[in-house]
Amino acid sequence: MRWRNTDQSYGILAQGLHWLIAVLVFAQLGLGLYAAGLPLGIARLEWLTRHKSLGLAVLALVLLRLLWRLVSAPPALPESMSKRERFAAVTTHRLLYALLIAAPLAGWLYASAAGLSVNWFGLFQVPDLVAKNAHRAALYKSLHHGFVALLALLLVGHIGAALRHAFVLRDRIMHRMLPWTRPPA
Amino acid sequence: MMYRGGVVLVLVVAAASLPAHAEDCRSVDPARSSVSFELEQAGSPFRGDFRRFGGEVCLSGTGATRIEVWLDPASVDAGLPEIDAALKGSDFFAVERYPRVAYSSRSIESTAPMQIARGMLKMKGESRPLDVPFSLRRADGHVVLSGTLILDRLKYGIGTGEWSNTKWLGGEVKVKFSATLSGPS
Ligand code: HEM
Repeated sequence: MRWRNTDQSYGILAQGLHWLIAVLVFAQLGLGLYAAGLPLGIARLEWLTRHKSLGLAVLALVLLRLLWRLVSAPPALPESMSKRERFAAVTTHRLLYALLIAAPLAGWLYASAAGLSVNWFGLFQVPDLVAKNAHRAALYKSLHHGFVALLALLLVGHIGAALRHAFVLRDRIMHRMLPWTRPPA
Repeated sequence: MMYRGGVVLVLVVAAASLPAHAEDCRSVDPARSSVSFELEQAGSPFRGDFRRFGGEVCLSGTGATRIEVWLDPASVDAGLPEIDAALKGSDFFAVERYPRVAYSSRSIESTAPMQIARGMLKMKGESRPLDVPFSLRRADGHVVLSGTLILDRLKYGIGTGEWSNTKWLGGEVKVKFSATLSGPS
């Protein structure tokens, strides 16, 4: 096990961030849908507050992950994949990163414009990105929903492709992201 | 001699007391005045305004001598339609039953550079004594009264039922006002 990525596999840090973010994003999808469905009341306030704090944590983790990617290059995709497959994989990954930033960012913009700022898990006041503005708030809310829907759609493709590598192609691509497998000798 | 002296004395006394008796009462100019509130939601400040209010302030040479002001709680503007609707509802201001919030002073003390009005606030059918500290200044040829006070919303039943949970919706409400009086300074 190593911290850094190798040309065969992702290191522990990249793997750890991947799975932590994966769990948090699924939690966020559930939390967001649940909270947004509640009527205006204390429960909605409580759950949306947790959703906002956790969403900002996702944003920070994704930025950290991208930074680490710059420090430690990920393993290249193998020649066994066709050009089209490699293009699809690279494009999906880039879009996933873009949406993992855009979705929480739009949420943060929405909360700011709505005048419902975030105190991060009750620990510190998160600054607002924009001034309060009901018009803009409606716009950012639609953006948040739109980005989240696109993200969910891409996740279906991403997970489907990973499972295909693991169970259909059996080419160990998915294994590069699994902490408990060793690279082939 | 005695007779003339008496006349002079009466005239002097009358002249000295004249300004105090001639109360100079003026109306609040809504276009150049504001009433805003701030309380905590989930540990973050949340702000709003009241758009319709009015009243009368009487002045003497040294400051204000009487304050009678009101506001229409249905004019609450927190920037979000669904929150405004809730604030007008029965859990908060119950504007259908209680269409007016009113304050009237009983006495006003000068504690330079501030003054303190002692009087009654009537809100949501609840009348309670309330001291309002304010400052009076002359700006742009007008008299301006401004101040900040803290109200315990629960004492007036603002936020009943689940909304009385002060962990998620703060119990202390900071009210800021600035009232420009009509007429010259
Ligand atoms: C990975 C990050 C995030 C994901 C996956 C996510 C997902 C979601 C989802 C699925 C919903 C429900 C949408 C619907 O009603 O259809 C939602 C709503 C919401 N999200 Fe997020 N969110 C994220 C980050 C954030 C952040 C960082 C904030 C604010 C700081 C935020 C603020 C909100 C708010 C206020 C709503 C309620 C919208 C409404 O009133 O309907 N979200 N989110």
